Amino acid sequence: MTDVPLHRTASFSPIRFLRPLIGPVSAVVVAFVIGGLLVALLGQNPLTVYGLLLSGSLVGWANLSVTLQLTTPLIFTGLAVAMAFRAGIWNVGVEGQMLMGALAAGIAGYALPVPAPFHVPLCIVAAAIGGALWAAIPALLRVYLNVNELVICLMLNPTALLVTGYVATHPLKAPGPTNKLPDILDSARFTNYSIFSQLNTGIFVAVALCVAFAIFNRSTVRGFEWKLIGLNPRFAHYGGIRVRRDVLTIMMASGAVGGLAGAEQVLGVYGAFYDNFSPGYGFDGIAVAMLAGNHPLGVIVAAFLFGALNSGSSVLQMELGISKYLVQVLQFIVVLILAAKFSFAFLKRRSPDDRVPPASPVPQSGQSHVTET
Amino acid sequence: MLSDIAYSAIRISTPLIFAALGGLYTFQAGMLNIALDGFMIIAAFAAIATAFATGSLTAGVIAGVLASMLLAAFLALFNLRFRAHIFIAGIAVTFLAYGLTALLLKSVLGQDGVFASDQIPTFPAIQIPFVRDIPIIGPLVSGHTLLVYVAYLSIPVVAWTLYRTRWGLRVRIVGEAEDAALAAGIRVDWIKFQTMLISGLFCGLAGAYLSLGYVSLFAKQMTNERGLIALAAIFFAKGRPVRTAAVALLFGLATALSVRLPQVTGAAPQLLQLIPYLVTILAMVIVGIRTTRDNAHNGGWRFDQ
Repeated sequence: MTDVPLHRTASFSPIRFLRPLIGPVSAVVVAFVIGGLLVALLGQNPLTVYGLLLSGSLVGWANLSVTLQLTTPLIFTGLAVAMAFRAGIWNVGVEGQMLMGALAAGIAGYALPVPAPFHVPLCIVAAAIGGALWAAIPALLRVYLNVNELVICLMLNPTALLVTGYVATHPLKAPGPTNKLPDILDSARFTNYSIFSQLNTGIFVAVALCVAFAIFNRSTVRGFEWKLIGLNPRFAHYGGIRVRRDVLTIMMASGAVGGLAGAEQVLGVYGAFYDNFSPGYGFDGIAVAMLAGNHPLGVIVAAFLFGALNSGSSVLQMELGISKYLVQVLQFIVVLILAAKFSFAFLKRRSPDDRVPPASPVPQSGQSHVTET
Repeated sequence: MLSDIAYSAIRISTPLIFAALGGLYTFQAGMLNIALDGFMIIAAFAAIATAFATGSLTAGVIAGVLASMLLAAFLALFNLRFRAHIFIAGIAVTFLAYGLTALLLKSVLGQDGVFASDQIPTFPAIQIPFVRDIPIIGPLVSGHTLLVYVAYLSIPVVAWTLYRTRWGLRVRIVGEAEDAALAAGIRVDWIKFQTMLISGLFCGLAGAYLSLGYVSLFAKQMTNERGLIALAAIFFAKGRPVRTAAVALLFGLATALSVRLPQVTGAAPQLLQLIPYLVTILAMVIVGIRTTRDNAHNGGWRFDQ
């Protein structure tokens, strides 16, 4: 982050645009190589496996539409995580925020008989509020009591699962054996675009949201301020940014986007709130955001990659009997590689600072510091 | 009924106590290790797979501990050498372990969700000669399996290493004032690496107990966030060993109640399962209020985190 030039250089160079891609692309390649070795150890041909992953996710509209359906929640959760991470806030509670948003959408979807054109927006707003309020808990604790938001978020994920599970099994349970809320009304349903999958309007909402945040981040003062908070909160504070208020806002906005992931699942995919419906989209969002480098447009690409892997993996499971969890392994190898700061000197921009040897042998320890709160 | 619940609370608390003791070392060394669940799941898998293949419990436990320590060393490598953020690396390692065990469950043991077999040996219950005849306490304390006793007997050992040895002093210095530790010539990264390995050791025992002692099966994600609850116990007790174990026991009791009470009263199990999480959040709020009051002149929000 220190090599951001102070002024925009006039000359166009493709290197400047490609440089941010080197990290993510090489991480994915390395992860695939490691995954290939793993597959070989399990006695399968890596090329067959990857070929099947590719064809099972991208070839033909049937497969592609499943991929797009699985991409949609990852765009939402990836964007939610990216917004918070960009501002240096550890919102790893997107899973819980998504569940809360889904519950809110599920309730608004069946309990409020609203005329058709208003019902979907109403459910979306309900989901956003649900997610934002759930995210407000760690945010308020962070801002006013200096409590580590990561631990609170991690605790709130299972809490949300239990709370929504309680609601779906006891007070609002639909009649029947399944633990779910009653089906939402038809007026609250997203349009379905494919007979092969539950691909729905949600994907356009997701992409539009990413584009909106890309513009917001790049072209508004507030977007710049949020980035500054992530880079150096103290500097941001002395620069006149109201860090507390902004951290609250960022966290709640992130939670709202997480809640929308839940709305998409309820309004577009399942048509009701089901207990324990999520296979961990909120956690996958962390991987998406890491691969995207917290850039909203990168989120779309990263979510598509992981969505395709998820979709291809079910074909893999059927054809070769390899567990679909191979994809989870690949995904988090990518995260590990991207989290590590390998020092490849030749990739770094040369600057005068590089030639100055470090003054003291003190290792950079700030990364592993933990505020005990 | 009551002694029944107390007996199962002791059993249920065992993996929590193991994991909490493991997490304690890294906590005291200033690393918030959120990968306890990952260590446990990989140990649980390695333990049951080895015990199934060899028929030996000892081999199973050793394999579990080694697998867990290997993963711990891997996390330490990424955090200490490659300077990956401990939170991100921890989350990645945990989900990597979840995914890897589910993958291997399918490919090696040929099962999709749950693996169980008659060929897995079980731990014999240990009847302590004189203790078991004591009226009320006897049946509670006696008749558990070996790893349960190891867990409870580890508590004083952990307290001793952290508070009564030179090495423990170093660990705590590293945690409280890393710069001072460096200035004093302590090899900070080496100490941190050691605490991470010990974390792996204890989580390995926790995982081996889960799949071989507590039940005789392996299910994907069978740790059920026990690592998080152990972390919660550590936070609640502010890192003091005996208190941490006591809180873990308390959480175990809450879990035992959440298993039993619904059968009796018809209450929703979810609400009782919430207890450990809510207690933790409450505890962190209380600690937060206290420290904020102490640093009132700083305004509570420390800008450099």
